[in-house]
Amino acid sequence: MKSSSTGGVGRSWQSTATVSCSGKRIQKEMRELNLEAPPHSSAGPKGDNLYHWVATLIAPQGTPYQGGIFFLDIAFPVDYPFRPPQVLFKTRIFHCNVDSAGNVALDILKDGWSPALTISKLLLALTSLLSNPDPYKPLVPGIAHLYLEDKAKHNELAAEWTRRFAR
Amino acid sequence: MAGQSPEKMEGSMFSPRFRSAAEMAGWDEETLLLVVEDTPDRQIKHKRRTDLQFKTPPLSNSRRKRRVQRRSPASIPATVLDLDVVDECPQKGSEKKKKEKEKSPSSCKKKEDSAAILCMDKLREELSCAICLDICFEPSTTPCGHSFCKKCLRSAADKCGKRCPKCRQLISNGRSCTVNTVLWNTIQLLFPKEVEARKLSGSVDSQEPKGKSLATRNRNQSVCPSNDDLGTELESSARRRSNQNLRNRGIRPSGILTRRVNEDARNRVQRRELLAVQDEDAALAVRLQREEYMEAFRPSDERQPPPPPQQRNSSTHLARANLRAIASRAMNMRVRGRQN
Repeated sequence: MKSSSTGGVGRSWQSTATVSCSGKRIQKEMRELNLEAPPHSSAGPKGDNLYHWVATLIAPQGTPYQGGIFFLDIAFPVDYPFRPPQVLFKTRIFHCNVDSAGNVALDILKDGWSPALTISKLLLALTSLLSNPDPYKPLVPGIAHLYLEDKAKHNELAAEWTRRFAR
Repeated sequence: MAGQSPEKMEGSMFSPRFRSAAEMAGWDEETLLLVVEDTPDRQIKHKRRTDLQFKTPPLSNSRRKRRVQRRSPASIPATVLDLDVVDECPQKGSEKKKKEKEKSPSSCKKKEDSAAILCMDKLREELSCAICLDICFEPSTTPCGHSFCKKCLRSAADKCGKRCPKCRQLISNGRSCTVNTVLWNTIQLLFPKEVEARKLSGSVDSQEPKGKSLATRNRNQSVCPSNDDLGTELESSARRRSNQNLRNRGIRPSGILTRRVNEDARNRVQRRELLAVQDEDAALAVRLQREEYMEAFRPSDERQPPPPPQQRNSSTHLARANLRAIASRAMNMRVRGRQN
């Protein structure tokens, strides 16, 4: 993409051949996401850099986060389908698997990644993480503790944060 | 009322409304049962059939029965075709069977063209690699039964560990992955355009929506008539495609290529003689086509508005002029040949 020249017509053939494997795959995913986005979420390139995306999650109903819209940053590695993308919550969230910097603890973003996974599946997994936090592999132990000990209080705080940051 | 008791036993099958409608039309339950019994797939076909029969004026009993008998063989037309596809691709057998069934009659009617495109999309989805999201190029099948491009699978095994990307089962030896030849041949037959494009670019290639429509158009020509002969199919497909491509582009070199294609179908012996001339045309056409690809495959964001005419690819211009000249020469030769 970046390396392709905008020169003569004859040269563009070679330039398309230099588009890397990851670029093509990301373009394909983008096209598919435009055709049909997964429920409650959307994603697309931030600017003209194909490897840097923004995504939004609309928290599902019935969770303490409902009504909130969460923005995510997605950075694709150069060898993308073979390495997981890096996901960062840009909107603050009271969640035991998301720390204050926005890092997400999700197995498919680390060792559990598979090249057959796509951004659309990843967004689905993140949506389900909002409805089912995993307090046994926490990133913020305090929130995980609260979730296990006093769920009502946890939900109250989460709703409060959602009201403050995610609307 | 006494006559209704057998129908009530079948109550689950007929809704009350349907039953009353049937009574109004004068159908007895025997015929109804007969209609239901001879359909393998009850819900769908039964419904369709009754829809059809509601629209037609009420028939006499004997005629209806004849009609039922006449129809029943027609409802299973494609089973013979299914056989070869099923044993070609065992793990996707059932799905393919269905698609094949939809496909074979669809080539006849233009009304069902949209269904054919839909089925082609399904096939494309089914035959694409989960790693590059493209049509599988030289597919390799894991022991757990999932297929990927050989290249993709190999790099996945190198970089992500020797597990199936789809189901995480251990792949015993990711090194020695072999091409699933039957699947590969099937893909080459179904999507000659895409395969050709990827072969040309030498690596994984992206497809524009344009390639899709071309491929579906190609399908009628390349898949349906001869599934049996892979060799000649592949050999002749390049030539045919180039001719077809010319037609698609709306360049009509006095219609000679089109006519030649028609003659191909009529007379195979005569084609052998024409082959030499044709190959020249084909080579030119391929060149034109390639240049078109260059433009088409450029990412849309950097595709500029078409440059001014004199700067705009003088080579294409030249090639077009050449092609016209060759075409008219060939035309003259043929006219002369006919006069003699």
